[in-house]
Amino acid sequence: MSNHLLNLNLRVWRQSGPNDGGSFKTYRLSGVSTHMSFLEMLDVLNEQLIAQGEEPVAFDHDCREGICGMCSLMINGQAHGPDNATTTCQLHMRRFSDGDTVTIEPWRASAFPVLRDLVVDRSAFDRIIAAGGFVSVNTGNAPDGNAILVPGVRQEVAMDGAACIGCGACVAACKNASAMLFVSAKVSQLAVLPQGHPERNARVLNMVAQMDKEGFGSCTNTSECEAACPAEVSVSHIARLNREYLRASILAGN
Amino acid sequence: MDALLRTLSLPAQILSRVPGLGSLIKVCSTTVGQKILMAISGLSLCGFLVAHLAGNLKLYAGEQSFNDYAHTLHSLGPILAAAEIGLFAMFALHIGLAVSTGALNKVARSKDYFIKETKQGVSILPGGASSWMMVTGLVVLFFLVCHIIDMKLKVGPGVDYTPALNAEKIVDNEYQAVKAVLSTPSRAFIYTVGLVALGIHLSHGIRSALQTLGINHKRWNFILHWLCIALAWTLAAGFISLVIWAIGGR
Repeated sequence: MSNHLLNLNLRVWRQSGPNDGGSFKTYRLSGVSTHMSFLEMLDVLNEQLIAQGEEPVAFDHDCREGICGMCSLMINGQAHGPDNATTTCQLHMRRFSDGDTVTIEPWRASAFPVLRDLVVDRSAFDRIIAAGGFVSVNTGNAPDGNAILVPGVRQEVAMDGAACIGCGACVAACKNASAMLFVSAKVSQLAVLPQGHPERNARVLNMVAQMDKEGFGSCTNTSECEAACPAEVSVSHIARLNREYLRASILAGN
Repeated sequence: MDALLRTLSLPAQILSRVPGLGSLIKVCSTTVGQKILMAISGLSLCGFLVAHLAGNLKLYAGEQSFNDYAHTLHSLGPILAAAEIGLFAMFALHIGLAVSTGALNKVARSKDYFIKETKQGVSILPGGASSWMMVTGLVVLFFLVCHIIDMKLKVGPGVDYTPALNAEKIVDNEYQAVKAVLSTPSRAFIYTVGLVALGIHLSHGIRSALQTLGINHKRWNFILHWLCIALAWTLAAGFISLVIWAIGGR
């Protein structure tokens, strides 16, 4: 694959703080290698801004290999850019053409307030996890891994849910800013395993209650989340969440 | 705009914040619970449509047959009244939840994107039928109001009910009344548009309701998806066929 150099117009959302109104600013960036990742391209932009004495663009990133869930960005109206099953850090500049205008926005959801530029506060997800996305275990020696048998198919379903990296692309892509795909993945991964069963009812009720409290929207089953998800979490998990919720509503003690 | 949305979403917000309500209300008050109620009311209304279409297809069996069916239905008296009240309650619930969850959803994204695209495949309607639920729902509601004025109250403006009148000048020939309404050009238009909107609404609504009730299985999803769409358009086409039949027999 040959290395081309791109000249790009970047329309970037700039916002100095949570209470600032914010606006788009356009930057011209030349000589962008097609081998760069999208985040490396932003690094280059920031080098240029610092050299010019401007404030660099703030954006979230960490592992830069698609597993940590820190990177975000709405790129030309697509969560994590135009590719399927890809995070922004895995997106390469070869997906763009010379002379393109690239619009970069933060995730937009009332539950994800913008902290600065492209950085949003996703701690709402942490609070949903804290409300029930765990199994309580006794301290002591680790139990024998084969003490409780789990059918292979169930392991796979749990693993598919556990693939969620909590990046928030589902919320960002959903027209209702609903967190149902995230919450359903976190409910599912434990609901299908015997280790998750003791707290099954309380888990789904508490996590849904927290999801509502954070101000996420409701699910209209458009499947936009599934299409945007970099971990390819399926909306079948949302159906499982709904089943778990119905079951818990009918059976839970109070 | 924001203030209006907040006001509209108040019932849902208050319900979802009040602790210690009866467990049923508590369950129904979350976003998931509201969508479950939405699904149940929607499927109930769909069940009514199936019965309504089955009854209306008696029009094809002739005047005597349809009028006998209509008289039998009307002679049910209190049972029919109870069914109508139930039906009205389902409509009220369905529409009420649509407004309240819709407003809450707008509040959930107070600032919109400058550009918003999709990663889903192309669909006939931009954004797919799921993006048109509110619009098609409102069209169906308008059609429904016309429909009740025309067929139930029998005071549709511009409709010539003469063939359906009895000796006392009261409309009592249901077959002729239906024919008179459906063959009125303005009604043929409104009903057809309303029924196409209904088809679009149901083509997302039925499958979506099943998903909300947790019905989703890898092995059956494909066939279920197409069965739901087939049911939606069978219902719409069945009713539209009666409009065509009435115009043809004018």
